[in-house]
Parts: sequence; C-alpha cells; structure tokens
Amino acid sequence: MVPENLTEVEKMMKTLRSTLTASIAGAALLVFIPTAYAVDADAAKALAKQNNCMKCHAIDKEKDGPAFKKVAEKYKGKANAEARLIEHITTGEKAKFPDGHEEEHKIVKTSPPKDMEQVKNLIQWILAQ
Amino acid sequence: MENKAPGALKRLWNTLRKPSAKYSLLAISSVSFVVGILFWGGFHTGLEMTNTMEFCISCHEMRDTVYQEYKETIHYSNRSGVRAGCPDCHVPKDWGHKMIRKAQASMELWYKLIGSVDTKEKFEAHRMKMATWEWERQKASNSRECRNCHNFDAMSAELQKQTPYRKHMKAKEAGKTCIDCHKGIAHKLPKEYEEPDED
Repeated sequence: MVPENLTEVEKMMKTLRSTLTASIAGAALLVFIPTAYAVDADAAKALAKQNNCMKCHAIDKEKDGPAFKKVAEKYKGKANAEARLIEHITTGEKAKFPDGHEEEHKIVKTSPPKDMEQVKNLIQWILAQ
Repeated sequence: MENKAPGALKRLWNTLRKPSAKYSLLAISSVSFVVGILFWGGFHTGLEMTNTMEFCISCHEMRDTVYQEYKETIHYSNRSGVRAGCPDCHVPKDWGHKMIRKAQASMELWYKLIGSVDTKEKFEAHRMKMATWEWERQKASNSRECRNCHNFDAMSAELQKQTPYRKHMKAKEAGKTCIDCHKGIAHKLPKEYEEPDED
C-alpha cells in the first residue's frame, strides 16, 4: 500500500520497482522451470530398439531413413514438430527412401498398445538429438 | 558254511533271465507288441500335453511376463488368423530334437522349483541370460522353428515391401538366419541387449 504523504515521484518510483521485481521474478521462473517435457531417454531408446527403428535410422548417420540429428535439425523451432512426427510414425504414411521409392513407414507399437505418452517421449528424444 | 538265500532283486533277475516254459514265443511277442504300443502312446500323449501353450502358461513365471508381451505381437494376433504358440517357436517338431529340447527343459523346471525367476524383478534380472540361451539355440539350428513357416524362397518380391525384401535377400546371400535380425519379435528385448549397427 502506498502511504498518502509520498510525493508523486516517489509513488512512481515505488510502482516501477514493484514492476521490475515482478518482471525479474517472472524471467527467473522461465529460466529455471524445467522444460515442459522431460524426456526419458532410456525409455525412448528401448522403444526404438523394440520397434527396430535403428535398422533404418541412426543417431548421426544416414541409413535408409534420415539420421535422427537431421530430423531434429529439420524440425527445430517448428511448433508442429511433435504432432507431425507422431503422425508420421503412427499412421503408416508413405516415407521416401534414398533410391526414390516410397513405402509405408512402420507403425511404432507400444506396450500397452497405443500408449501416446511413450510415442511422444520417443519423438521428443529424437527432437532432442 | 551256511548257504545264503538270494535277495528279492536277484530272484527277480533270475526269473527274467529264465526262458518261459509256459507261454509261446508268439504269445509273448503279441503281448509285448500291444504293451509297447500302449506305452508309446501314453508316453507321447503325456509329452504332447506338455507341448501346448496352456501348459507353458500354467506357470506364472511365463504367464505374467513373456506371455503378456507375446499377446501384443503379430505371432498371436494378425490379419490372417494364423497363430504361432509357444511350442511352435520354442520346441522342435522332429522327434530327436524335440526330446533333446524336452530334456533341457527339465532344467527350466528345476529353476522353477528353486524359485529363480518367481518374481517380475527376478525374471528381468535373468531375462538377458535366458534370451541369450534361446537365441543361441535358434542360431545353432539355423532358426529351424521359424523356418517351419517362413522361407526366404517363398518371399514374394511383389507382395513383400521393397525394403524388407531387399534386406531378406541380402541376409540370405550373407548366410544369415532369421534370429540374427529378428530377436525380440515376440517378447520384449532385454534392457542390456545392444542392437548391432547395420547399414
């Protein structure tokens, strides 16, 4: 509460200080709050292994499919990255191979079936490469 | 010196060694033949009772772990309704190899009795070791049980997707066998398992 005997300048300074404090606190929260999605790398790798992802992909090497690093680079900063990649690995849409032919991408299976949290975790792990 | 009477076993042995003065060779042969058939039939019926999925999952060690995983795979449920049960993949069909596998399985019963894998945690702790035994067995037999249904030569280039077909033909040329690439096809892979890097 602002006391009545303060001058207009003092009142302005006090308001400014409060605003500044609130802004700094807000910024600090943004910096120190953990990211919205904490990736479980071990679970993602296990799911990739179980689904034979690494038979066509590698982390940093081109195989029949693009390297995960390249995928992460392509989708970096894109708002729809997660949704787009989930669609790619869960609907069996066509994927283009190095020789130009197109083939349905394998649908990633989870246990229990269709566990979207596991799929999201896998995608976030790929995007984090 | 006192003559000691022979024991029961000795007397039985002596009786068995004595030629029959009462029954003809034909009667003895006929009875032996029938008894042999009954014994063999009984033995096989018993053996086949242990060769069913129901028998395999009568142990909770199997039912609560690998069976649950298998139920989510294509070998359990698929478009054409063909199911490969536990013995189809894990027990050879021909008599000689089946008997050897059954003898090995008696060790698994021993582990069951001493409770080596009677909890999920213990099962997971031993999963890599158990999976490796089975992979080695399949590798040594050139994936004989897979090949009861699958065959490189029966794969159609038109019907199989291009990439798997190319990989299958490459594997055939390289002398690879099914289990080289298809580990964990019906069960979870052990967490310790590392996929070999393939091009």
